[in-house]
Amino acid sequence: MEALQHLIEGFGVALTPANLMWVTIGGLLGTIIGMLPGLGPATGVAVLLPLTYTMGPTAALITMCGVYYGAMFGGSRSSILINTPGDGAAIAATFDGYPMAQNGRAEAALAMSAIASFIGGIIAAIIMVFVAQPVARFGLRFGPAEYFLLMVFALSATASMSKGNLMKGFISLLVGLMVATVGIDAQSGVQRFTFGIMELQGGIDFLVVIIAMYALGEVFGTFQVIKEGKKKMQTKFGKIWITKDDWKKSWKPILRSTPIGFFVGALPGAGATMASLMAYNNEKQLSKNPDNFGKGDIVGLAAPEAANNAASVGALIPMMTLGIPGSGTTAVMMGALLMLGLQPGPMLFQQHPEVAWGLIASMFIGNIILAVINIPLAGVLVRLLAIPPRILYPVVMALAFVGTYAIAHTVISFYILVIFGLVGYFMHKAGIPTAPLILAVIVGNKMEQSFRQALTISNGSPAIFFKSSVAMVLIALTILSLLYPVVQSKLRARQMQKESEVAS
Amino acid sequence: MKKRVLRNKLLTGVIFLLLVSMVLSGCGGQSGSQPAEPASGQSSAPAEAPSNYPARAMEFVAPAGAGGGWDLTIRTVGRILQETGIVEVPMPVTNREGGGGGVNLAYMQEKAGSDDYIAVYSPPLLLINLNGSTQLSYENTTPLARLITDYQAFMVGQNSQYSNIHEVMEALKADPKSVKVAGTSAAGSMDHIAFLIIAKEAGVENLSEIDYIAFQDGSSASQLMGGHVDLLSTSLSQVSGLIESGDLVVLAQTAPHRVGTGVMGEIPTCIEEGINATFENWRGLFGPPEMPGYAVDYWSEVLAEMVTTDEWQAALVSNGWDDAYLDAAGFKSFLEIANESYKMILDEIGMLAE
Repeated sequence: MEALQHLIEGFGVALTPANLMWVTIGGLLGTIIGMLPGLGPATGVAVLLPLTYTMGPTAALITMCGVYYGAMFGGSRSSILINTPGDGAAIAATFDGYPMAQNGRAEAALAMSAIASFIGGIIAAIIMVFVAQPVARFGLRFGPAEYFLLMVFALSATASMSKGNLMKGFISLLVGLMVATVGIDAQSGVQRFTFGIMELQGGIDFLVVIIAMYALGEVFGTFQVIKEGKKKMQTKFGKIWITKDDWKKSWKPILRSTPIGFFVGALPGAGATMASLMAYNNEKQLSKNPDNFGKGDIVGLAAPEAANNAASVGALIPMMTLGIPGSGTTAVMMGALLMLGLQPGPMLFQQHPEVAWGLIASMFIGNIILAVINIPLAGVLVRLLAIPPRILYPVVMALAFVGTYAIAHTVISFYILVIFGLVGYFMHKAGIPTAPLILAVIVGNKMEQSFRQALTISNGSPAIFFKSSVAMVLIALTILSLLYPVVQSKLRARQMQKESEVAS
Repeated sequence: MKKRVLRNKLLTGVIFLLLVSMVLSGCGGQSGSQPAEPASGQSSAPAEAPSNYPARAMEFVAPAGAGGGWDLTIRTVGRILQETGIVEVPMPVTNREGGGGGVNLAYMQEKAGSDDYIAVYSPPLLLINLNGSTQLSYENTTPLARLITDYQAFMVGQNSQYSNIHEVMEALKADPKSVKVAGTSAAGSMDHIAFLIIAKEAGVENLSEIDYIAFQDGSSASQLMGGHVDLLSTSLSQVSGLIESGDLVVLAQTAPHRVGTGVMGEIPTCIEEGINATFENWRGLFGPPEMPGYAVDYWSEVLAEMVTTDEWQAALVSNGWDDAYLDAAGFKSFLEIANESYKMILDEIGMLAE
């Protein structure tokens, strides 16, 4: 097996003491950066840029990847503890992770998040060794029509995020889609809803919306509880680990979510956020008791956590094999490689095998090191819950503003932050779920652009959406995903009826 | 007691985190704490050249995200100035994104008259003004030097029916909808305009009928490889890996002469193909409006010196850039000419703002 031989050589590169040190430092730094709202892997890698000039290309790439995986591990820490995702990929971790913490199971949640991340990352790295090239080539079959259908499929997850009230879920979704239209339309060059404000031309950054809805929303929300003196603080802490039962429930969802994450991550422009939400949706639909989702079901945490780490590995595929950055983070990494005189692309594996395989080997090492760092670190972090709200929440608030500034460097974004914070608060009051809105802001722009790109290509004929086999599969999946909950509830109702008949 | 100690530790930890995040976000962008001076306001005090200029750190700005062409250019400049010891003060790079560079252009007006701010720009600086994204133009900056140019290349996939640029142009003459042109920048910006300038010279009419499809997430090369679009207009250096591997076939490039070596050196220019036009994706450095004379002089000298260094020459080769150095005066007159030529095309496709 040629791949294995290369991989072993790769380990030879990655296991030098200097590179081991870099991946550890990168991982630690990434974990911290990932926890802070607004500062995701892209920022972390960008901050490292000046540092990487002095390193060789291999060390630079390994360090940057350390930051990348670290941020993926770290992003969900704050999701679980204070309901504030560090970045988009950690949104899904708030759905069940935060309720677990509220139920006094923060230790298990943190441990499960690290374990699922670890398994997802390792398995994805193994898949990558063998199928990087075929996956990259398969990804090419996704044209605008297929991307549009993929986004529609992602939005079908709204149904499962709506906690029973579909209408409210769709209201949230539509508002999000409207927000996504702000900015210069790339296909026509026309400004939409920018009101003459220059800063709005680039659209509203979904990260600002996330920070607003979650961090600010959480602060506004708890403010009331604190004032009424109802906020409970956790003061006793157990060991950071999961029970046998947790594991029994979660291992299958982890294994199912990893390939989803890997593949969605490998599509240029899809990303870890979509991957984790799809994995969540998928598990909720497969679950025997979907009603537990959103109330602290450990499966609802394990699935997206495995998926987002697998996605971060997958996202490296288009960059390494085609030289096409598939995400914001990989775009920054590619810039760094260019500056170091390396051209990522089909020739990378032939011209610089030590860099390519060293990087793949570093994924294994990085994931192991991060799992080792994260379990004890969680023991410290969980004590955040012991901080009195009057100290914790002002800090969260400050972090939200700092993070927002780091994203956009403009004062306008503070207004956007506060406005969406208030919107989030009132939506919460009205029982309207905020997750569909955020999902729509994330995928809305790409979905609309893909739709119009497809129609330009087909000279206006909608037949393009039904042309390829990939498109048909995506349509089938969307229909299945929308119908399944309906069918399931009908079946359950019938079964209950039968049972009650038998009982009587 | 113990509890209090724990609490204090936690507090320290939290404050530490806050500081870390502030430092990190600071690295991304220096805060604009200086009081804003209105652009039209009184011009700054007579430029008294401080003998030790520059004494403080400079702010280098890429008006787009890390990893892009602007970012790569200004970081390379900063690195080489530092390495060669030509400039000794720190030159950290800020990524001030938004509005295709317009957000930074507006910010530069607030920095009018200051001597510590330098940004990199390329054709979009002119285009965002012409297409109406911003009222500000290159005239609201102080051009310092043009440094490099990259050229635009038009490429097709491996199994394309087109084997030279003429066939593409003939197809467009017969039916403007027959070739779907893709690029990364928005409609009416660089990738789009570059193709239209060449098509116009080749005698294609109805330029506004040609379908241009923007893939702003940078996936245009994979769209071409997958056969979803017919032609890609992009800068040559962005896709050199895919060209060397043979996944993409370049039909023509817009340079006045061939550039690069190996496969890249075999790409014909449009002029060789009988289309008498060029398009330069130039990149240059700009100070804020009313930058003091001593600062303009200093940076003109420094950049003139930099372009002669071996380090800079090496960077040109490794990035596939063409040397395009022009001093401040030459750059300014170049900008005027370029502006007129872009204006004509935008007018023709109905995207020129009033």
